[in-house]
Amino acid sequence: MTRDYDVVVVGAGHAGVEAAHAAARLGCTVGLCTLSRETVAHMPCNPAIGGTAKGHLVREIDALGGLMGEAIDATAMQFKLLNRSRGPAVWSPRAQADKREYGRWMRSRLEADTQIGWVVGRVGAVCVEGGRVVGVELEDGRRYGCGAVVVTTGTFLNGVIHVGEEQRSAGRVGEPASKMLGESLKSLGLVWGRLKTGTPPRLDRASIDFSQFEEEPGDVPPVPFSFVSGEIDRRQTPCHILYTNDRAHDLVRENKDRSPLYNGQISGIGPRYCPSLEDKVMRFPDRDRHLVFLEPEGVDVPEIYVSGCSMCLPRDVQEAVIHALPGLGQARMLRPGYAVEYDFIQPTELRRTLETQRVAGLFLAGQINGTSGYEEAGGQGLVAGVNAARLVRGEGEWVLGRDEAYIGVMVDDLTTRGCLEPYRMFTSRAEHRLLLRIDNADLRLTPSGRELGLVGDERWSQFVARRERFERNVAAVRAARVPGRGGAVPLTQVLRRPGVTLQGLAGDGAVKVVTGSGAAEHEWSSVETVVKYEGYLRRQAATVARGERDERRRIPAGFPYGAVPGLSREVVERLSGVAPSTLGQAGRVPGVTPAAVAVLGSYVRRWSDREMAGPPE
Amino acid sequence: MFATDDTIVAVATPPGRGGLGVVRFSGPEALAVTTKLLGRGEPLQPRHATVGTVVDPSASHRDAIDQVVATFFPGPRSYTGDDVVEITAHGSPVLLERILSLGCSAGARLAEPGEFTLRAFLNGRLDLVQAEAVGDLIDAVTPLQARIAFDQLEGTVTQAIAAIDAKLFDLVARLEASLDFANEGYHFVEPGTLAGRIGAIREQVLRLVRGAARGRLIREGCQVVILGKPNVGKSSVFNALVGSSRAIVTPVAGTTRDLVSSVIDLDGLAVTLIDSAGIRETTDPVEAEGVSRARQAFGVAAAAIVVLDRSQPIEDEDRLVLSETSGGRRVVVLNKMDECAAWTPDAMELPVDGVAVEMSARTGDGLEELRVALRSALVGEEELRDTPSVGNRRHIGLLDQAGAALEAAETAVKTGATEEFVLADLQRARAAFEELTGARTPDDVVNHIFARFCIGK
Repeated sequence: MTRDYDVVVVGAGHAGVEAAHAAARLGCTVGLCTLSRETVAHMPCNPAIGGTAKGHLVREIDALGGLMGEAIDATAMQFKLLNRSRGPAVWSPRAQADKREYGRWMRSRLEADTQIGWVVGRVGAVCVEGGRVVGVELEDGRRYGCGAVVVTTGTFLNGVIHVGEEQRSAGRVGEPASKMLGESLKSLGLVWGRLKTGTPPRLDRASIDFSQFEEEPGDVPPVPFSFVSGEIDRRQTPCHILYTNDRAHDLVRENKDRSPLYNGQISGIGPRYCPSLEDKVMRFPDRDRHLVFLEPEGVDVPEIYVSGCSMCLPRDVQEAVIHALPGLGQARMLRPGYAVEYDFIQPTELRRTLETQRVAGLFLAGQINGTSGYEEAGGQGLVAGVNAARLVRGEGEWVLGRDEAYIGVMVDDLTTRGCLEPYRMFTSRAEHRLLLRIDNADLRLTPSGRELGLVGDERWSQFVARRERFERNVAAVRAARVPGRGGAVPLTQVLRRPGVTLQGLAGDGAVKVVTGSGAAEHEWSSVETVVKYEGYLRRQAATVARGERDERRRIPAGFPYGAVPGLSREVVERLSGVAPSTLGQAGRVPGVTPAAVAVLGSYVRRWSDREMAGPPE
Repeated sequence: MFATDDTIVAVATPPGRGGLGVVRFSGPEALAVTTKLLGRGEPLQPRHATVGTVVDPSASHRDAIDQVVATFFPGPRSYTGDDVVEITAHGSPVLLERILSLGCSAGARLAEPGEFTLRAFLNGRLDLVQAEAVGDLIDAVTPLQARIAFDQLEGTVTQAIAAIDAKLFDLVARLEASLDFANEGYHFVEPGTLAGRIGAIREQVLRLVRGAARGRLIREGCQVVILGKPNVGKSSVFNALVGSSRAIVTPVAGTTRDLVSSVIDLDGLAVTLIDSAGIRETTDPVEAEGVSRARQAFGVAAAAIVVLDRSQPIEDEDRLVLSETSGGRRVVVLNKMDECAAWTPDAMELPVDGVAVEMSARTGDGLEELRVALRSALVGEEELRDTPSVGNRRHIGLLDQAGAALEAAETAVKTGATEEFVLADLQRARAAFEELTGARTPDDVVNHIFARFCIGK
């Protein structure tokens, strides 16, 4: 096959756009395959970006030079910094998106990129020769040769949508599923499974009596996601809060047998952190009400998203449930909620570059890997796009560690442990959480982004100035002394007291802190945190250092686990399946004990020495 | 996970009393640690048996613990392939434990079961045939294995630890939930109860640690030395205690040497009672040797009985004994209560912070009070069977770690730190429990949360 593009990206959702953009930035020509240019970076479920731990992912994508942060800053209708009452490690930005504007922003950004070519159509097969990807073939017969393929098909692989007894083949509502591509991937020997997710009904804004509800306004001023966005001055749109009631619960219970979730129609496993209304009512009978948010889907669109009421009951029952809720008695349902079942590829099939172990040059990112969420998809898209480009260019793999980024935690979790239910990011998954904050995402990652070629000159020069300010500010805070009982005391000592903030101290003239123009919340926070929580950060850094030796020790590809004495057959199977790239990763494979890792380490060393010395005579 | 590049220490000879006992150090710091313990200026000669004295480097007057023979085997030509130092001491479990704990304070870590052999294997010191046995070894060095072995010995302790761990785990899961699901409208932990809940968990850990010392005493017995200046009635107290007890015909070898000793049964505790020479400043070389041995015996004893003579005025030599024993477990006996008292405890300006018992060794009055006071000094007031006891030193070390981390968490809560910082401390405590009870993963936390709460808007 002649090469039409360096990299082909299948799908232009949240994973696909980051993958295409990243590969293009790294100098590759990219063919971006999508069913329609109208659904680029589409939000088929919640019209929001960020939230706890997800906000971290967006900041990291941004720090690395990705698009998601800038896109949401440019188009959001409401901003909130979650967990503000806690410490800076768990603050997390969230924003309500104007979903149409968000998609348009992404599309125009990619359309302006001359490295990216658009292929509109349905990909039916990945073309493989000699264990290597050589291109893709569309269902209409068009073929495109390339050096690497990134597949980001979301819920489209054998997607089936359920609304009550009604079932139809679809990836998203109104868009047919991809059957051929699923078969093509399975024929490559990739292990797959079936998951389920769902979405709530959409209501017509004009038919809702908002005066009945508690209003949930945005933060003033908004804290942006992107390090390059500066201040955001925009009128924000509120959300509204209400609660379900007994009548709604009774309706769900009475019609349980008409829900595909409870009548055996659905076999895929759904996410427990995002239960359907059916699950909430059936599994937690003690709770007499559940929280519901009404979220606008855009400034100029009529749809209101009923967050918390994901369901797949028949249309008439959904309407009855909605009408049972206070303030929604007259609400007009524009479209019902639904459940969607889809195939995913077990991510233990992947290396930490998100390349499949079985087929060189084939990368997978996003929901196809068993994750849920736009942010999780975006982070994976970036990792896959960068590594696809580096593979084509003959450069080494790029992997983020668990101590470097939430993205690193996510990829390591997926590729090491696999998925039993849709995977969502939580801060509790990051054992080095205190080091992985939103305020230092740029300090952690922008230098890597620059080195990779993702970070352009403008972002880089902004970053260099910000880093210099950070270092100067920290030095100033450490050097400052303030009057105290019995003479001057170090400012750091005062700052470590509960309730004392750096902004407060600076306001009193105790120290001069210089920040850049525009939104500077993260600059204050990054300086304050490294001083105020120094002891905690040092302990966590020490934990990282202890594990570093194993994280650095490579296990060569093709290492024969079966030849290591004493490993149980189950552990050998798991290790062979995951093919961990380091000893540290091997230790995180379920069932592998610390002692097994130690023995493994010794065998890996012996085996590598022998391989290096050449085959025995 | 345990490291393979630090220095480990363990008793290499079988548990229990013996003529000799060997403490083995292996790792890069083996020589440095043992040099510190031996209080030596120059390091040990490779592969030479060297006579020396183990001292407590932290004590102000560098207490001598025991006379030993030390041998240094430089790596890689050693059993494990690391630098190895073997210290051969007298075979008292109490003494060997003391050397272990001094080794740990000097920078070594207690070895996991089988860890010396594991290192030998990892360093290529075992040949291929021996390596075949690695399969068993893997099992033998997992915490799980240790736990199972431990289970068989002391099911109650594992249960107690597991129960504490379960409470901590639940608390951790709730705090994690309150961070990850902040907007769910739940109180995952009722506000204001957090410090109390952590404190309660910590108290349970402390109770186990307190029980630990008792557990070892019960299993291995202990030594009690009778101290005092000459002629206050030490031997009478010794004889009274021995005479009132059921005699135990266990020969005691090694540690007591020329000191007079006898093993008594103190309500189930095997106590080796040691009568010592009177402690005083002296120039007589023979007497000085006796004084030095009395001090040495106190160095390894679990407690001291300090005898004072009520009928004679207090002298500097009494004060010397009292000050040398202050800070340790002791019972002060005010002997000769049948004679005219020369002073009253209230009037004396003595730092008698331990328990004081009035008795007459001659008539036997007050003897029962002494037995009760001694037992209580050794194992506390509680009934011996009430609480499970942790006897394994590795477990005690881990419980100590957990206790310290829980204390830090409690302090963090009280000073207004938010969940993620409290969790950083609690996670350290959990890491210690995990080594005791087997690992739990972050997935388990998530599962725990979903099992209890309806999450997701």
